[in-house]
Amino acid sequence: MSKTKATKSTNPYGKVGDILNELDDRLGVAKGRSLLDKVFPDHWSFMLGEIALYSFIVLLLTGIFLTLYYIPSSSLVTYHGSYLPLVGQKISEAYASSVNLSFAVRGGLLMRQMHHWACDIFVGAIIVHMARVFFTGAFRKPRELNWTIGTTLLVLAIAEGFLGYSLPDDLVSGTGIRIAYSIILSIPVVGTYVAFFLFGGNFPGMTIIPRFFIIHVLIIPLILLGLVGAHLYLLVRQKHTQFPGKGRTENNVVGTPMYPVFMAKTTGFLLVVGGAIALLGAFAQINPIWQFGFYDAARISYAVQPDFYMGFLDGALRIMPAWEFSGFGHTIPLEVTLPSVVFPGIVFTLVYMWPGIERKYTKDNELHNLLDRPSLRPKRTAAGASVFALMAILFIGSSTDVIANFFHMSLNTVLWLMRILTIVVPLITYPVTYRICKEMQGFAGAGKRKTTNVVVRTADGEYVATPAPVYVDDAHHELDALPVPTFVVESDEVAPSVAEDAPTGVRRAER
Amino acid sequence: MVLALALGAAPFVAVTPASASGATGSSGVTGMTGTSGSTGSTGMTGTSGSTGATGSAGMTALRSVTMSSTSSPFQTTRFNAGTPYSSIVVKNPKTGAIESYGNSAITYNVPSSSLNALGEALYMSNCASCHGVAANGVPSGGTSGSYPNLVGLGAATIDFWVASGRMPAANPRAVQAERGIPRLNAAQAEAIAAWVNSLHPSYPAIPSVNLASANVSDGQALFALNCAACHTIEGDGDALAANTYAPSLRNIPAYQVVEAIRTGPGNMPRFTGNLSDFQVRDIVAYVTSEIQHPRNNGGLGLGGLGPVAEGFVGLLLGVGLLALVGYWVGERE
Amino acid sequence: MSEHEQRTPVAISGLSVDDPHLQPAARRPELVERVITILFVVGIILCVGFGVAYVQNWAPWTLGATMGGGLSFLGIGLIAWGKYLMPRGPFVEERHSLASSEEERTAFAAAVVERGGAVVKRRKVLGGLLGTGLGVFGVVAAFPLVRSLGPMPKGTLFHTDWAKGTYLVDITGRRVNVSDLAIGSIVTVFPEGMQDTDNGQAVDQTVLIRLSNSDFTTMKGRETWGPQGYVAYSKLCTHLGCPVGLYEQELELLVCPCHQSMFNVLNGAMPTFGPAPRPLPQLPLMVDAMGYLQSQSDFKEPVGPGFWERRS
Repeated sequence: MSKTKATKSTNPYGKVGDILNELDDRLGVAKGRSLLDKVFPDHWSFMLGEIALYSFIVLLLTGIFLTLYYIPSSSLVTYHGSYLPLVGQKISEAYASSVNLSFAVRGGLLMRQMHHWACDIFVGAIIVHMARVFFTGAFRKPRELNWTIGTTLLVLAIAEGFLGYSLPDDLVSGTGIRIAYSIILSIPVVGTYVAFFLFGGNFPGMTIIPRFFIIHVLIIPLILLGLVGAHLYLLVRQKHTQFPGKGRTENNVVGTPMYPVFMAKTTGFLLVVGGAIALLGAFAQINPIWQFGFYDAARISYAVQPDFYMGFLDGALRIMPAWEFSGFGHTIPLEVTLPSVVFPGIVFTLVYMWPGIERKYTKDNELHNLLDRPSLRPKRTAAGASVFALMAILFIGSSTDVIANFFHMSLNTVLWLMRILTIVVPLITYPVTYRICKEMQGFAGAGKRKTTNVVVRTADGEYVATPAPVYVDDAHHELDALPVPTFVVESDEVAPSVAEDAPTGVRRAER
Repeated sequence: MVLALALGAAPFVAVTPASASGATGSSGVTGMTGTSGSTGSTGMTGTSGSTGATGSAGMTALRSVTMSSTSSPFQTTRFNAGTPYSSIVVKNPKTGAIESYGNSAITYNVPSSSLNALGEALYMSNCASCHGVAANGVPSGGTSGSYPNLVGLGAATIDFWVASGRMPAANPRAVQAERGIPRLNAAQAEAIAAWVNSLHPSYPAIPSVNLASANVSDGQALFALNCAACHTIEGDGDALAANTYAPSLRNIPAYQVVEAIRTGPGNMPRFTGNLSDFQVRDIVAYVTSEIQHPRNNGGLGLGGLGPVAEGFVGLLLGVGLLALVGYWVGERE
Repeated sequence: MSEHEQRTPVAISGLSVDDPHLQPAARRPELVERVITILFVVGIILCVGFGVAYVQNWAPWTLGATMGGGLSFLGIGLIAWGKYLMPRGPFVEERHSLASSEEERTAFAAAVVERGGAVVKRRKVLGGLLGTGLGVFGVVAAFPLVRSLGPMPKGTLFHTDWAKGTYLVDITGRRVNVSDLAIGSIVTVFPEGMQDTDNGQAVDQTVLIRLSNSDFTTMKGRETWGPQGYVAYSKLCTHLGCPVGLYEQELELLVCPCHQSMFNVLNGAMPTFGPAPRPLPQLPLMVDAMGYLQSQSDFKEPVGPGFWERRS
């Protein structure tokens, strides 16, 4: 950018105005002013998606650090580092470089742990955000596409997490890969082909770690970046939904403007998410791969579970009875295929199709920009709660041995208990949730802040409760919403460049 | 007089047992050789006796060594595998009874017979009501029931169960006796072991392990292959079938690890000829160092429960806390 | 096109500076500002502390604590600034119909259908061929992507390295002798020479258990398989392939640690509990002249989890 020689800027907005003009000459940025004015409704539940987004950024940054040290190879090397129990053993380069990262690289363990914690928070935040979107009906027209993109993001995030924690090639994650191999093997007709192609032969082979690596650091992140970008673009283009309330209609958005308020709050939130992940990475150990030892197909540890977002699969595999179909010269291991291939397929297909299902069921093809209070849609809320309960029970079912150990129960008893609970709990959750929603509907002021009551005892001994005047400090006085001001003027000035007959706050949409 | 048991702390070398403990009658070491051992120990006929055709042939070689025991449950003919067929054997010069045997890794000490009287007294008051006055599992005044026969199991077995607090059983009806605060101390346990063993002498004897030249790395490999399947790779133990469980290894003294490995208490398989004393020593070194003092460089260990605990922390602390921050950032309406 | 050819809606409005919408939300903004100052300063100190901790090579937790604390304080300060000191609003923005006007919709459909579709309608054959060409390309392009990845399934899915006369060795390569193990012992064995190989560990791994001192028969037809009480089973669980290393000698059960399938070792490793559908294949054993254990042959069925081509 060229510096004007010692001449004062003639722009009423000074040097900054000059820079903006220069940018506008080249890029036409001034036409993007509406982006600065964009209003974001700021209910707290809209922050959950941001947790996911910012933990994704932390994943990218910490991941870049890790790729500079991790070696994606199954070739054997002899360990000569500082962790004595491994010295002299022949371990894979992937495991050696991960242990090296944990012990010999300054800050390496912190980065590894931040990366893993960020992943848990990422998937957890997606699930919570998705639940918010579901229970408030934000997936309805015109946002079905965003729901599809979001569900795909969840599936990819889960896959990415599995691939990521399998990269260090330790005993616990290697067992997970063995199980994944057998699941692929169990698919009828094509299973053995897919397994042999993906792994380059029988388990374990030498190609799976490098393949997992490139899928984890290149292929899926690229898809994720693209989908996250599309997800955010749609959100900006279609504008965020909002809860019904004072001044809020189907045709407006009430909240804070993008610049500067929302940008300040959201950047602050980014820093806090990063800080929280760093604090977790500092104080809470996660995935101590050196304690597990490297993966060797003959070794196994007890009490091995996958990370929580895969827990529902492990739980489903544990409780499934041993039904295997064998005949006509072929075998279909139903005890594997049903819980780990068919069941998740059904669940995720249901999730993908939900906007269509609801549209068909409620015969509602209208545009919806206002959200539902979950208690006002009891059937949808109950259905969602049921599926959630099913997944939660399956997740709990993945730790049958831990439960049996903790409560000093028989393993056999715990397993049967889990089998029964998996069927019973979702069936009970539906009517219970339905009833709760109905009760909340009938109760005025449900979910709102309660006011204090002054209880007066009359001379007759009767107690009368009247709402007390609200404390001055307690009052939530919301002003009427105004359009975002372009110019801020002193009270006696006239705003420049506003035509006298142009009413303030009216958009001129010209095409 | 009590043999000084090295509880895994100080190395106990079998070469000079007399001066260390003052046990009566042992004035020196007989039958000592270096590590080759197969012809040095008295009474040993090497491996020629065991041609492997039948199991009993393998036993004859040991018979002369093992104080006329019939088939011990812990049979093996492997050298340096917890039986008196080991590098170093120390015998009582007067009676010829074996007082200790072993090698540079582990020494197995037969409890002194001077403890028998004390042991018998302790046994009668603590154990006879279930295991019977003859220690054969037939309680007095009752029919032979489900109480184990203790005869011929070797001193290490008895010592392990009593010294780890599992016996006397707090709950005789429990499926599996729990490790607990021992009601009888180590010396008393050894005395009981001495008396029960004297009924029908057998092996293994009570071990003490020398961790000086242990290879922790080999220990890790052996632990992962043999032990982690029940006790978990972290050594925390877990529930097994039908109300049995593998106990945690976080608080067990080194010599009890050897006892458990060699005798296979309860449902635990026993490792006799499948692990040499050097391998057992390496496993013990790994357990007492890395399992009992894990390197938690990354912060709080979260109980070693793995991804389940991590998931709870990530969801409740991570997402939960951040959602609370979000509650502050956003509005409530 | 209209003379105001602009792509984006533009509203121009002014607001007086003492309008309550532009006031900070805090009741005492100076106090809040002071608090945020402190937050920022602490954040800066902690961030500097991260640098110091790194250079001085302090304990790993200090790196995370300083970075985490620094970011958190800066973030909380920034959020507080945005929430309490910036214009409190609220502000409103009109949503404009995403849908375009009727004329525009008609024009769009006309462009797609009449301009493009008409062309293809005139040259139906060409259009058809183009579609076919692209389709065929799409299919064959997938061939190298899929097929070149790995070999066809065969071989080790169906048979292992155990054969007639293969010696059983442990992980150190030492041959197992019949006089080695006591009753109630278990050891993981491999075909001699294979104990350090991937295939040996992944496919051939076998558990050897001693059940008695005399020959042990697990089921009819297997009378010679258990010489002197030794029985050997494939260690690969028939559920999902985890090594079944957990042996409870009093219960005579092999338990798989992954999903707790239980196999009865006395009758040919029949599954008694849990999701495993088939018993663990048993390895027929024999003893040579020196007492070393050998396998009589390979397993009689494929080991490990089930798959489509598995006949039984």
